[in-house]
Amino acid sequence: MLTLILLPIIASVFTLLLPFKRVHYFITASVLVTLTLVAFSFYSSTEIVTFHLSHSMSFLIVAADVILLLYFLYQGIKFRSANVIFLSAVQLLLYGYVESIAPTGGPAEIVVDNLSKFMFLIINGVGGIIVLYSVRYMRDEPVSATKKSLFIAGLLLFLSIMNLIVCANSILLFFLLFEMTTLASYLLISFRNDTLSRANGLKALWMNQIGGVVILLGALVAIEGYGTVMFDTLLKSSGGMVLFTVALLAMSALVKGAALPFEGWLLGAMVAPTPVSAMLHSATMVKIAPYLILKLAPVLGATLLGSLLSVTGALVFVAASYLALSRFVFKEILGYSTVALLGLMMALAAIGTKESMTLAMVLMLFHALSKALLFLAAGVLEKQYHVKNIEEMKGLVHRAPKTVGFILFGFISLTLPPFGLFMGKLLAITSISSLLRERPALLIVVLSLVIGSALLVLLYFKVSSALLSAPSDILPTQKEHLPYGFSIPLILLAFYSIATAAGFIIIQGDLFIAWLALPLLLVILLPSMVQKMERYDRIQPYHCGEKELFDAALVYYEPSIRVRQIIYGGFGMLFVAVAFIGVLS
Amino acid sequence: MKFFTPFRKKSPWILHYNAGSCNGCDIEILAALGPKFDLERFGVINTGNPKQSDIFLVTGPVTYRSRERLVELYTQIPEPKVVVAVGSCTTTGGVFRGMYNVEDGIDRYIPVDVYIPGCASSPQLIIDALVKAGEILESKSKAIEKPFKLFGAIETIGNKLSRLNMAKKVHDDED
Amino acid sequence: MTWIWIVLAPLLGGLIYGGERVLRARMQRRQGPPLLQPFYDMFKLLDKRTLILHAPHALLAVAHFFVLWFTVAAIFLGWNLIYIIFLHLFAQILLILAGYSVRSVYSHLGANRELLMVVAYEPVLILVAVGFYLISGSFEITTILQGDGYWHQLPLLFVALLIIVPIKVKKSPFDIGEAHQEIVGGIEIEYSGVFYEFLYMSRFLEYLFIYSFVFLFGGESYWLGAVLVAGVFLLVNLVDNATARVHAADMVKIVYGFAMSFAIINILGVLL
Ligand code: SF4
Repeated sequence: MLTLILLPIIASVFTLLLPFKRVHYFITASVLVTLTLVAFSFYSSTEIVTFHLSHSMSFLIVAADVILLLYFLYQGIKFRSANVIFLSAVQLLLYGYVESIAPTGGPAEIVVDNLSKFMFLIINGVGGIIVLYSVRYMRDEPVSATKKSLFIAGLLLFLSIMNLIVCANSILLFFLLFEMTTLASYLLISFRNDTLSRANGLKALWMNQIGGVVILLGALVAIEGYGTVMFDTLLKSSGGMVLFTVALLAMSALVKGAALPFEGWLLGAMVAPTPVSAMLHSATMVKIAPYLILKLAPVLGATLLGSLLSVTGALVFVAASYLALSRFVFKEILGYSTVALLGLMMALAAIGTKESMTLAMVLMLFHALSKALLFLAAGVLEKQYHVKNIEEMKGLVHRAPKTVGFILFGFISLTLPPFGLFMGKLLAITSISSLLRERPALLIVVLSLVIGSALLVLLYFKVSSALLSAPSDILPTQKEHLPYGFSIPLILLAFYSIATAAGFIIIQGDLFIAWLALPLLLVILLPSMVQKMERYDRIQPYHCGEKELFDAALVYYEPSIRVRQIIYGGFGMLFVAVAFIGVLS
Repeated sequence: MKFFTPFRKKSPWILHYNAGSCNGCDIEILAALGPKFDLERFGVINTGNPKQSDIFLVTGPVTYRSRERLVELYTQIPEPKVVVAVGSCTTTGGVFRGMYNVEDGIDRYIPVDVYIPGCASSPQLIIDALVKAGEILESKSKAIEKPFKLFGAIETIGNKLSRLNMAKKVHDDED
Repeated sequence: MTWIWIVLAPLLGGLIYGGERVLRARMQRRQGPPLLQPFYDMFKLLDKRTLILHAPHALLAVAHFFVLWFTVAAIFLGWNLIYIIFLHLFAQILLILAGYSVRSVYSHLGANRELLMVVAYEPVLILVAVGFYLISGSFEITTILQGDGYWHQLPLLFVALLIIVPIKVKKSPFDIGEAHQEIVGGIEIEYSGVFYEFLYMSRFLEYLFIYSFVFLFGGESYWLGAVLVAGVFLLVNLVDNATARVHAADMVKIVYGFAMSFAIINILGVLL
C-alpha cells in the first residue's frame, strides 16, 4: 500500500534531481513495472486493508486543504475570474465550518477494499504507461529542460494522489484529494501558458470547484444527520438523509465525470499536452466519477435517485456521442466520446445490481486501455506528423501506416467483438432487459445504450474514413519510422487490451462467447494473403472516366442552436433534479 | 475455364456511355431496357460502372471533349469485353461527319465489335446487337485489349498492367 | 441437417434473390430474367479478369462475406439474438472500412450512407430482440422459436421491423446505400470479378438475415412464420416498385420518428 503511494513521490523527486532523458526513461519504466506488479499482487490478495491516520496526519490534511483553497483564491484574484473567487471563498467558509463540527475518531480513514484494488490496476497499469510515454513526448515540446522534468514529476505525483483517493474512506480526505486532482487538472491544462490554455484551465478550475462545494455540503449533511464523515458508516445507516448525502456526492461525480452541462471543462482540457489528456481526462482522473457512483451504489439500488442517475448517465451517453459528430479536432472527438462512455459507466453503476456494477467496472478498465491508446496515438500524430484535426488526416495511412493501425485498433477495441467494451455493452443489454419488468424507467437506459452505441460507431468510422482513404497501390507505400519511446507504450496498451479481452472471455467461463472471436481470427489471417494478391492487376478508382483524383468531404452533423439549448437546458435541469430528488427522499 | 464460358452470354451487363450523341439513340437504349422490350429477360443489367460490365454500349460520334473519357472507361472494363457502337453517328460520324469538333466514329479510339446502323437505331436492332455481342463475348479470351490511342499515358496503362510490370515499364520509359 | 442448411445458405439466398427479380418483373408486366439468373451472373463473374485497387480493399470484402455467413450460421444454429445483431454489425463495419480504404468519391459516399443505415436500423433490431426477450424470457433463438404469441403481442414492433426491412435489402424508398443512378452502387463500385462476386453473394445473405427476423415473429408455428415472410417479401417489393428514393438524412428521421416510437410504445405496452 505504501509502495503505491510513496514510490511515485520518490520517483518524482529523482526525476527533478536528475534531468537527463535516459534517467527519466529508466525511472518511469521501473516505476511502471513495480507499480503494476504491486497492483497485481494487491488485486490477487483478498484481505481488506485499513489505516488509521495519526493526529498529526489529520492536522497536515487540514493545513493542506486550507493552503490549497487559499491558492485557488489567489489564482482567482490573479486572473480576475469571479467564478473561481466566489467558489473558493464559499469552499473556504464551508470547509471551516465542517471541520469545526467534524467528529474525530471513528473508523479507519483509509480502507482498501476490492473496488480500490481494481482501481489500482487501472491507475497504475495504464497511468504508468502514460508516464513512460510522456518522457518521449516531452522531448519535442518547446519548453525548458526543468519544465520538462517538472511535467514528468507532476504526472508521477498525480499517480500517488490517484492511488490515495480510491481508498479514502473519510469524506473530508476525499474532498482534499478531489481538490488536489482539480489542482492537477488546472496546472497541467495551463501548462503551455498561452491565453487559450489559461482560459480553459480556469474553466476547469471553477467547474470542478462546484464538485468540491457539493462534497462539502454532503459532508455537512452527513455530520448533521449521522455524526460521521466516513463512507462506510454512512452507507450502512438508513433514513432519508443518507440519500440526500448520496445525491450531493453523486452530483460531484457528475461534475468530475464531465456529464453534460459540465462537459466544457473536459473539452477545454484538450489543449493540454497529450499525456495529460490521456492520463487525467480519459484514463484515470475522470474515472473517479464512476468510481464514486460505484461506491455509493449499494444505497442507490432500486431508489428513485438511482433510476434518475442512471437515466441521466444514459442520456449523457447519447447526447455526447451526438455532439461529437460535429467536431473536427481529433482530441476533442476523443474527449466527447470519453464523456459519453463515462455517462454510460455511471448509468450502469447507478443501477446498483451486482451484475451491472461489475459491468461498469469492466467498461472502466477497457475504456481506460482503449482511450489511453487512442490518445497516445493522437500524440504521436501531433508530434511526428503535425496533424491535429481530422480534415488534415486524409490518406494518412499512406504516410503513417503503423500509427493509423494503432488508432484503428483503438476504434475497433471500442466497438467490436470480442473486446471488452463491446462485451460490456452486450452483457449490459442482457442484464438490463431482465430488470425491465420491475423498473420500466430502465427502458430509457436500454434505448440510449443502443442509440448511443450506434452513434459512436458512426463517429469512430467517420474518423477512420479520413485516415484510411489510400490511393491505388500502383504507387509504393512509405515506411514509417516510429521511435521506441512512442511505440513501446502503444504496443503495451494494445497487448493489454487483447490480453484482458481474452482473460474476460475465460472468466466468463462461457466458451460460447469465444466463438465470437472467430470472425476476428479470420480478419487477422487475411493480411497473410496480401502477398498472394500480387497476381491481380491494379486499376485506378472510377471517377466517371476522369483521370483526376477527387476526394469526398467528411460529413458533419451539426445540431442547430435551438437543439443545443434544449440539450444543455435539459441536462442542467437533470443535474438540479438529482439534488431535488435527494431532498425529497 | 471452359465450364464458365457459356454463362457470359447469359448475363451480359452493360455500360452505356454517351460520347456526344444527340440523345436519340440513348432514348432508344432506355426503351429497350424498359418494360416493353425488356432486355432484362436476357440477364442484362445496366450497371453504370465499367468495372462490373461486359458490354460497352457507346452512342455519339466522339466529341473532342469526350475522347479521353471514352478511352478511360474502355480501359476500366475488365476483359473479356465487347464494344457495341449504337447508331450511325457512332459508327461513321453520321450527320456529324466532317464537323470541326467531332471524330468520325469511335473506332478510331477503341476496337468495335458490333456496329448498329440507324439514326436513331431501333430497340429491336439494339436487342439484336446485344445478342450478337453475347456470342462474340463467348469467343473472346481474357487477354488484355488495348485502346488504339492512350491519353494521359501512365495511369491508363497502369490500369492494365500488374504493378511489377508497370514499375518496369515506367523505368524503361525513363531510360 | 442444420449444417447442410448453413453450407447451402448462399445458394438459398441466391434463389430468393432470383425469385425476387422475377417477381418484380411480373409486377411491372415484364417477363424478367430466369430464376437462376443470380447464379449465371456469379459464374460469369468468375470468368472475368479481376482488377483491384489494393489488397486490403479486396480482402475486406472477402472478410465481410465470411463474417456475414458466420452470422447467418449463428441464426440457423439458434444462438443469442443480441450476439447475432452485433456480429452482423461487425460484418457491416468490415464493409464500411473497405469502402473507406480507397480514394474514391463514390465509395466514400456509399460508406457514409452505409454508416447512416447502420445508425438507423441497428437500434430497431435490438429493440425487436428486447421485445422477444420480454415475452419469451430469453435471447436465444431456439427458446424464442418455442414460444408463441409474438404476432399479436408485438404488432407495433413488427411494423417497426417492416420499416427497416427495405433498408437492409436495399429497396426503395430506402435504397440509399447503393442508389444506382445516384452513387453508382456506393461501396460496391470499385470491385470487379471474383471480389465483386463476394459482395454479390453477401447480398443474398443479407436477405436471409433480415427475413429470419420476420420469421421469428411466427414463433413455434413455422407455417405462420413462412406466411409472414412471404407477405413481407411481397409487400417490400410492391413498395419498392411504387416509391422513389428518400433523402439519406430523411431516412434516419423516418426510422427514428416512426419505427423507434412504434417499438417503444409496443415495449412499454408489454411492460405496463
Ligand atoms: S445516330 Fe442519329 S439519333 Fe443516334 S445519336 Fe447519332 S445523331 Fe442521334
